[in-house]
Amino acid sequence: MINEDETAGISAITAVDLGETIEIMYHIRTRGTIVTIRTQVPKEAPRIRTITDMLPGANFHEKEVADLFGVIFEGHPNPGRLILSEDWPRDNFPLRKNAEITKVESKTEKLPAVDEDKQSSDEGTLTTVILGPQHPALIEPEKFSLKVDGEIVTEVTPRIGYVHRGIEKAAENRTYLKDIYLVERICGICNTCHATCFCQAVEAIMGTEVPPRARYLRTIVLELNRIQSHMLLLGHAGLEIGYESLFQYMWRDREIAMNTMESLTGNRVIASFVTIGGVRRDLKEESIPGIKAELATLKERMTFYRNLLENDSTLKMRTKDVGILNRRDALKLCVVGPVARGSNVKIDVRKDAPYAAYEEIPFKMISRSEGDSWARLMVRLDETSESIDILDLALDNLPSGPYRVKVPRIVPPGEALSRVEAPRGELFYYVKSNGTAYPERVKVRTPTFANILSFVQIAKGGNIADVPASFVSLDPCFSCTDR
Amino acid sequence: MLKEVISQILTAPATRKYPAVRPKVPEGFRGKQIFDINLCISCGLCASDCPAKAIEMVNVEGKKRPLFHLDRCVFCYQCAEGCPRNAIKETGFFELASTNKCDLVIRPETDHKNRGEK
Amino acid sequence: MSLDFTFFFRVLIFPGFSFILLLTFLCDWIERKIEARMQNRIGPTYTGPAGILQPFADFVKLLAKEDMVPRDARSIVFKFAPILSFSTFVLAMFFLPIDGSNVILNSSFQGDLIFVLALVSLANFFLFLSGWSSRNPYSEIGATRVLTQFLGYDIPLSILAFGPAVLASGLSISTIAANQRFPFALLVPWSFALFIITLQAELEKDPFDIPHAETEIVGGYETEYSGRRLALLKLAKDVQIVLGAALVVELFLAGPYGPVFLGPPSLWYTLWFILKVFLVVVITEYLTCIFARLRIDQVLDVNWRVLVPLSILSLIATVGVAFWLNLWV
Repeated sequence: MINEDETAGISAITAVDLGETIEIMYHIRTRGTIVTIRTQVPKEAPRIRTITDMLPGANFHEKEVADLFGVIFEGHPNPGRLILSEDWPRDNFPLRKNAEITKVESKTEKLPAVDEDKQSSDEGTLTTVILGPQHPALIEPEKFSLKVDGEIVTEVTPRIGYVHRGIEKAAENRTYLKDIYLVERICGICNTCHATCFCQAVEAIMGTEVPPRARYLRTIVLELNRIQSHMLLLGHAGLEIGYESLFQYMWRDREIAMNTMESLTGNRVIASFVTIGGVRRDLKEESIPGIKAELATLKERMTFYRNLLENDSTLKMRTKDVGILNRRDALKLCVVGPVARGSNVKIDVRKDAPYAAYEEIPFKMISRSEGDSWARLMVRLDETSESIDILDLALDNLPSGPYRVKVPRIVPPGEALSRVEAPRGELFYYVKSNGTAYPERVKVRTPTFANILSFVQIAKGGNIADVPASFVSLDPCFSCTDR
Repeated sequence: MLKEVISQILTAPATRKYPAVRPKVPEGFRGKQIFDINLCISCGLCASDCPAKAIEMVNVEGKKRPLFHLDRCVFCYQCAEGCPRNAIKETGFFELASTNKCDLVIRPETDHKNRGEK
Repeated sequence: MSLDFTFFFRVLIFPGFSFILLLTFLCDWIERKIEARMQNRIGPTYTGPAGILQPFADFVKLLAKEDMVPRDARSIVFKFAPILSFSTFVLAMFFLPIDGSNVILNSSFQGDLIFVLALVSLANFFLFLSGWSSRNPYSEIGATRVLTQFLGYDIPLSILAFGPAVLASGLSISTIAANQRFPFALLVPWSFALFIITLQAELEKDPFDIPHAETEIVGGYETEYSGRRLALLKLAKDVQIVLGAALVVELFLAGPYGPVFLGPPSLWYTLWFILKVFLVVVITEYLTCIFARLRIDQVLDVNWRVLVPLSILSLIATVGVAFWLNLWV
């Protein structure tokens, strides 16, 4: 498959505990769809060969399955803890069905010092500088150990898992209806995407068809979410490179999107709008002209910001040719979202596998070929303008009819996967149902989890002063990464 | 950008001087709930559907009524959606911060007399 | 100068120590308000009328906090670097005529322009020492960046400062300030513009914000300080801004001299001085708002490839203007 399609990449690796065996599924994204390869390993001796030699992007996916299920991937380049902490017992695998997680106590004595814990140690000419877990440049905690030679970074070792909350395990103990609200809170800034993806997967298992008005309303809220997220990131990027005025202006204009979200769904951030079978509220016809007027203001402001990004000299000095990710590396590491589209890899779930109302609304896929931080920021800026256009079209062509269908509370047995284009990239859900009111397995693969390896690639060979600026252009969301 | 910065000095600031200036709360905002005890039929759907386990069914005058723990509530309003008699309604009241945990509870017997917190 | 009541009054109250402190707080307030308005915000509002007491409130708050010295720090240097830096900046202010004459009467001498520039360099060196003595990787990076940036702006700053000296034929700041029938900013505007840009680097403001870039290296050289010493360090930075603005006022904007109406001339001179300092602070704040932060190698690049040649050219042009003026006078 990889030989036939060079854009083939690993989308996720799901493991399910089937009692005697552990089923491992490799979801490979190729030619716009997902091809799943299933295999099973016995629980007593769970060993399987690694695929990181063919697809380096599968590195962290395999480590996660190793951490949570205890599957040993033979030949993996750097096995070790990914999501769980170092003092979690080595033989306790949380996501297995018979795992006893409530009996694990956290140790209070000092953990053995790992190599990377030494602050600024010297090994020959290399110094280790630790970025995080608490650092003003990172919004959420993760640790990146940078080996620095003078001012040039030679190696980066990420350690994630600081905000791991065990959402996948928690989802197995709650009903489907409660799970919508649980997965919505995996991440604040892309909450509607998580809810939509989960609901789409459950609707696929049940075979429910969502009414057209609901599909359009879902599109409207999803695009609003995208506008909010991209504007947040562009302002945050301004803050990281010292451009406070850009940050303040961008977030002031973002309030237009927040107020629209509030009038539409009842809350500024966590929308709680999507449910299984449709959406929870309707959009009143008389509020549409007001929303369109606000969006027109926002579109004008976007022209101003586009001018700024294209012409401002100090901004370009900080972001052009900084943090370059070339196309070959982007394909090898299987990155998604604006990170991929900024390096000329044209993948977008809204075009490849349309969901909600994207089949009926025409829009452009934005991509750039430079691959540096500036390209990624420009991609997001243009996507915001494009989203405003999609919103306008959706509001104009809103079909009438019901916005919700009633669904039974018990889901028939089955499994389904669904994908949504979150602001940071492709969001992937796999839901398996066993016929009861509780799901058997909910697997979430978030876009930043797929993009973490690009952090390593981008920082290598660059200036240490560029590291915060290039990290922010990758739009990290570590709550999504760790779940 | 140079002109933009100068022109902003002459524009009114975008900051609203809360709490002196009250914010406009849109219709449909998910604030504190109002519970009408006269409409309740004690089905318990609100408590079983709450994702945050914030509703507890307590005994009031021989019937089971919901007690809302607002410190656990995520204001998703699944309770209002599921209620067959529409006994739970939303308000736009959001200033719920308090130093006392007892303030953050909606009791079924007393609260329906304390309406008017909009 | 005799050590009588006038001496102590001038040194401690006006136009000495207390006046400089009040002017620093006032300039800090103006800076924050102007930056806020440029960013469409309000700025300090609640402390005092229109928030004018906010810098003072911040200072007092820091004084009340616990003052910790890290165990690994080089303690003597760590403890004294803030106060040394602060006092050096205030000492440099003593040589600028504020109400028509220096703080210590008759203390100006030929060459005190060079002395003031040297004091500024020394004070910046003390800031470097404060970061270097903290033994913290972030502080060390911040401290080395102070020195690296210093290598860039010091030469253009000195070259540009000589321009007004040539025009006024004297190396004493009081002479330069007094001999400006037209403000030199109008006679040699190129010199004035370049001096303000180089001053941005000395004051560590955008685009040359790198030594204390909060989003990259936490606090730079301020990282390990807390309590009283942090209050002094922040105050030192604020006095540096007032000193920089006052230097611009003395060298290019005819110092405290201006039209005098009724009353004692020194009152009017002080008023003009304060107004001109505010003007320069607003100009530097505007430059801060329109630029992003440059990396340290980009700062050196801009300094050596752009500012140094331009400042040499501007000095030549200023000398030319001086000759042309002398031909007429």
